[in-house]
Amino acid sequence: MPGTSTTFASLHDVELCSHAAVGERRAFGELVRRHGTAVRYLLRRMGAQAAEADDVAQDAFLAAFERITEFRGEGTFAGWVKRIAARLYLRRLQRDKRLSAFAAEGGEDDVEAEAGDADRRIDLDEGLKALSPAERLCVSMCFGAGLSHGEAAEALNLPLGTVKSHVKRGLDKLRARLAPADGTVQGAVLEGRRGNG
Amino acid sequence: MAEAGFERRLERLFAQSPELPDYGAFAERVEHRLNRGWTARRWLIGAAGLVGGVIGASQLVMSNLVERVTSAEESARVLGQGLSRVSPSTDMVSALSGGYGVWIAAGLAVLTMVFALSRVIEEL
Repeated sequence: MPGTSTTFASLHDVELCSHAAVGERRAFGELVRRHGTAVRYLLRRMGAQAAEADDVAQDAFLAAFERITEFRGEGTFAGWVKRIAARLYLRRLQRDKRLSAFAAEGGEDDVEAEAGDADRRIDLDEGLKALSPAERLCVSMCFGAGLSHGEAAEALNLPLGTVKSHVKRGLDKLRARLAPADGTVQGAVLEGRRGNG
Repeated sequence: MAEAGFERRLERLFAQSPELPDYGAFAERVEHRLNRGWTARRWLIGAAGLVGGVIGASQLVMSNLVERVTSAEESARVLGQGLSRVSPSTDMVSALSGGYGVWIAAGLAVLTMVFALSRVIEEL
């Protein structure tokens, strides 16, 4: 159908969701084009390797298409898919018995030696590498996927206090490593540039 | 206060993601998987409708439909003859009973069953 892609490109996310809800898969494809990168980045920031992040992101979008009528436009579409993706990734970690290893590790402070690097400007992805897997997972879920501490604790099957301390330690490390300036990534795109994000 | 400011900054940083070079290819892969799933589902629905129709038709045949139709035709003929003595307008009844009325009704019933079953499965 000529011109269909152009038509979809000009639509708002919520309108695209309405089209997708009646089975219009090209409309959903436009949503994937808009927000696929953000979802893939979130999964990588949670600790997934690139290939695994892509697999989980694909599954998350397929699950989102199946449940598209549940999305009522109250939050952002990207936020909704990110939460689905985060939970799918956790399920995969649980299935592969990797999650318990994350939860078991104590979050030893391995950033102390480099704490003096605060002046050096590094981006978020570099900063996250200094976090332990559990801290990284908790911080990404709370600040990247938009889950509350309680929701993260439930999804991770961890006590709320444990999640809170992982987040706190992760934030302390990130604060020490991220430069105080705004830290806008050059060439970065803010999700939702054409829609409600 | 500074804590909240840092958290907001972190949320902004998480919302920023440099566009990956293969974002178009990624979207195509997802669309491809969606289309594949859709095609499989349509085949499944069609096959289920066909199986349902065949089962329905076989049930009709297995229930001695031919004998019942024959006896129904016989009864209708007798009834028609009786009625024709009462009124000449009953010719229509015997025309139907002697013709293909019952078979047409049975065929329509099978078609309706196939259609209804397909719709029900699609809705599920």
